[in-house]
Amino acid sequence: MTLRGIDFSKLSLKDALDLAILIEEEAQERYDEFSDQMDIHRTPEAAAFFRTMSGNEQRHGEELRKRRERLFPKEPRTVNRSMIFDIEAPDYDQARAFMTPRQAMQSALRSEEKAHAFFVAALPQIGDAEVRALFGELRDEEVEHQDLVKRAMAKLPPDSGPPPEGFVDDPVAQ
Amino acid sequence: MSKDLVIGMAGSGGDGIVAAGESLIAAAAYQGYNAIMTKSFGSQIRGGESSCRIRLSTQPTLNPGGRLDVAVALNWEDFMRFGAELPVSGTTVVIYESKTGVAPDRLPLVGVSPAESLPVPIGDMAKQIAGTDRAKNTIVLGLLCGWFGIGEEAIRHGFRKRLKKKGAEVLEGAERAFAAGIAYAREHPLKQPRSLDPPEAQPGTKLLTDGNDMCAAAAIFAGCQFFSGYPITPSTEIMQFFSREIWKYGGALMQAEDEIAGIGAALGASFAGKKAMTATSGPGVSLKTEIMGLATIAELPLVVVNVQRGGPSTGMPTKSEQADLFQAVFSAHGDVLRPVLAPTCVADTFRVTVEAFNLAEKYQTPVVVLSDQEIAQRKETVDPIDTSAFHLEERRRPTPGEIEDYQRFRFTDSGISPLSHPGMCRGNYLGSGIEHNESGAPTASGSMHERMNEKRFRKLRPLRRRRDLFLIEGDPSAPLALVSWGSSAGVCREAAAKARAEGLQVKVLVPYLLYPVAEDIYREFFATVQAGLVVEQSYQGQLYRLLRMFLNVPAGIQPMARSGANPFLPSEVLTRLREVARELHRRHGHTLQPQE
Amino acid sequence: MTPTAPSAEAFQPKDYKSDLKPIWCPGCGDYGVVQAIYRALAAIGRPPHEIAFISGIGCSSRIPGYTSAYGFNSVHGRALPIAQGIKIARPDLLVLAAGGDGDGFSIGGNHVPHTIRRNLDLTYIVMDNQIYGLTKGQLSPTSPRGRETVTSAYGSMEAPVNPLLYVLAFGAPFVAQGTPADMAGLASIIEEGIRYPGFAFINVESPCVTYGEEDHQLKDHRAAMIPLQSLGHDPSSRIKAMDLAQEYGTKLYTGVFYRNPTPPPTFEALTRERQEKLSAGAPPREKILDLFIQR
Repeated sequence: MTLRGIDFSKLSLKDALDLAILIEEEAQERYDEFSDQMDIHRTPEAAAFFRTMSGNEQRHGEELRKRRERLFPKEPRTVNRSMIFDIEAPDYDQARAFMTPRQAMQSALRSEEKAHAFFVAALPQIGDAEVRALFGELRDEEVEHQDLVKRAMAKLPPDSGPPPEGFVDDPVAQ
Repeated sequence: MSKDLVIGMAGSGGDGIVAAGESLIAAAAYQGYNAIMTKSFGSQIRGGESSCRIRLSTQPTLNPGGRLDVAVALNWEDFMRFGAELPVSGTTVVIYESKTGVAPDRLPLVGVSPAESLPVPIGDMAKQIAGTDRAKNTIVLGLLCGWFGIGEEAIRHGFRKRLKKKGAEVLEGAERAFAAGIAYAREHPLKQPRSLDPPEAQPGTKLLTDGNDMCAAAAIFAGCQFFSGYPITPSTEIMQFFSREIWKYGGALMQAEDEIAGIGAALGASFAGKKAMTATSGPGVSLKTEIMGLATIAELPLVVVNVQRGGPSTGMPTKSEQADLFQAVFSAHGDVLRPVLAPTCVADTFRVTVEAFNLAEKYQTPVVVLSDQEIAQRKETVDPIDTSAFHLEERRRPTPGEIEDYQRFRFTDSGISPLSHPGMCRGNYLGSGIEHNESGAPTASGSMHERMNEKRFRKLRPLRRRRDLFLIEGDPSAPLALVSWGSSAGVCREAAAKARAEGLQVKVLVPYLLYPVAEDIYREFFATVQAGLVVEQSYQGQLYRLLRMFLNVPAGIQPMARSGANPFLPSEVLTRLREVARELHRRHGHTLQPQE
Repeated sequence: MTPTAPSAEAFQPKDYKSDLKPIWCPGCGDYGVVQAIYRALAAIGRPPHEIAFISGIGCSSRIPGYTSAYGFNSVHGRALPIAQGIKIARPDLLVLAAGGDGDGFSIGGNHVPHTIRRNLDLTYIVMDNQIYGLTKGQLSPTSPRGRETVTSAYGSMEAPVNPLLYVLAFGAPFVAQGTPADMAGLASIIEEGIRYPGFAFINVESPCVTYGEEDHQLKDHRAAMIPLQSLGHDPSSRIKAMDLAQEYGTKLYTGVFYRNPTPPPTFEALTRERQEKLSAGAPPREKILDLFIQR
């Protein structure tokens, strides 16, 4: 994950909210991409899980958007997507054809951990008190999200038997 | 006095014999004659054997003519190298360099006694009068002028224009040499005088150009804005014309690094919305074939000119042949139907090229124009062309209604879908070589593939009814027929005219549209036909074979086909036609006795 | 790095995404590449209909179909000639070309030096994975010597092409390398390449998750990559760039290798000049045959 051009010491509440929204949007889009990939590669359980994650990110984003609308109605956005890369969105190499639901959840968990680390690293640099409060909130939410994923993983039956790779068809030349 | 004169001249490159020919035809064109000039060379870049043939006539000229009326040989070794290209007969007046030491009754022409043999001290005269024996070619011009009455003033005007930049000394020397040649001719008149009738047209009205330049000019007139290609004999002059002219019309030229890049860039320009063209010869078409297929499935307009030369492979780069028809029609993997057009002379190269663009744009397809080396590189006079009489097609672009929910390959009644291009808002689509559905998304579905093939073929069906792309001459009920295309067509039309004058009932069909085969038009033509010939320069007789593939060609129609570098003479076609007529008479008792 | 122009966000990255769902294997580096392209285009802000994106054949050549630009997925190795024809005909368009290492440096190899010396303002993105993925794992021109593949069963006997050194030697005015392991860096060099007024070459080490080597995947890139900026590299020296480029295959340098500080004239700029000069006072097309009148 990378950030470009963000000066945390001067970050305003509006910009902080907008960044948070962008982070959720990026993650939502990424989970959508992953669920599409899983659909196309006939890995329905992982697809379903990623779709759930996409829904989660969408909801988080909505909440933040509503808050932003209330506090700063009609004020244009001054931050943009070029400033954030893969903060909460899983890295592209997290996806694999035939991945098990456990593997999918592990990738989501890693992403939430990443996001948590982002807020933790940013906090000491924040200048504005309101922004600090917001980031603290978001950091804590990430912990909640991780717990959600861990609970889902706990519900999974243990991975047993040989890995699917051993049984799938060979790749096809195009 | 004669209406028609065919002059053949040969020497070595250093003799300037072709330069003399250029001056002669330019003068004749200026005067208002109809004229055709072909050239032939050895394989050296310069200094090898070199020859030209010029036909001058007061009547329209359909081909470079048959036996020579006049032969000029600056040396015999070089002249003989051209063999059948410079056919001397009993009616030829032979003018030759006396320094060759050959006696007039000992010319090295096997089995031929020319009408007159005139040794002339051409080299010595040049040396004496102009100070250099390089002025030989101007002496020759003077001789021709003096003996055959070809425009003295016009020739003088011509070399004045040409030599002005070479300095006063050169110009004066040339003027003196020319005058000396004329004087010599007057002092040594021909036993049987033979001068050319004055022309019927007004001076300064005729166009003079070759097939390649005419093709390029026609393309620009048709709206071509982009040309890319690679140098290859005998098509390079097309690119060179673009290099001089295209910028003036807001277009561009890119000389590509290879044949494939040449057609690739042209296809790109077409994708971007511009009329585009590439030109090459047989070997280049072989390389371009893949991208021609891409143009077909991507349904993009593109004009590909093939100036045919001797094949296969490197073949004979400087000789004409008509053996790339199979390639133009069939060389594609997959089911591909693309229109193939062929001009027959420099004059109709204009309308055929314009039509190629019209078909390409209207039907969103590559179109092959099959010219050949003879048409492409021969100079020919052309009567003024009224460009306002030509209609130019533009590709069907999506209307505001059609751009809503735009589908690039939408099925339509005609099979032609509105075509957008980058820059057009909402017209975004994915062009590709992969089979696709209506929106352009890749598909591997058999039924969609069948529908798309059907669309691509159906859109071209109207071509089968294009009578205007066929030339049919002669009595429609004639039982004898000649079918010919490209540079062989003009030879056949002249032979047929002579045959009709002898009382033979013969009609001629010349297709400008070679493919798709317009079956109904041929069927109607052949309905009355009992016998005839398909005349073309290819060992296999490719048009003959192609017609037999698509329709029942009457059994009496035979191929008259041979390899290139050996163009048909009108007399050969006439002789063969008489034989066919005799045979038909013998078999069926038809009253078509030729009068001999 | 300073952020790109704020506020006037005419387009979002997803505006450049088409509805076609990629068929690349999950984990393929190309997903990152196309995302980086969306980001770069959003930062630049040209509308999708003014962008032409041309590719050849290969897994990576599917990329135009996954963007909302006018795409042309053409034939193997021929993206550059077609892209040049488009750019010369319509110099106002933003033109991108893309393909794999085989498409660009094997069958398409001859077009690279000539496109560079014509210097059209277009950006060529090569997704270099040292293998032929689409056709199931054959040797590619950038595969290292000794690499075992389905067509080099006992190991490749050939030295690999060095794409960076080639394009630098051919005279490319802008050369950069990136990896989807560093998305921000990749988006940044793509944006910079597009903005550069001339031919821009971007080599992307984009691993093949199905046929690539296990230890050459994105996680390994992340560990191995060396940003050129961190070396204090000066991208205005072609020779210094070539010196670093020699290590292609052993070191993964990311960032801008070379950026010509005095961009040479582009083919289309020279074309426009010539058109303006020669069309002044030219006769209309309808009179073109007057050139042939014998006077």
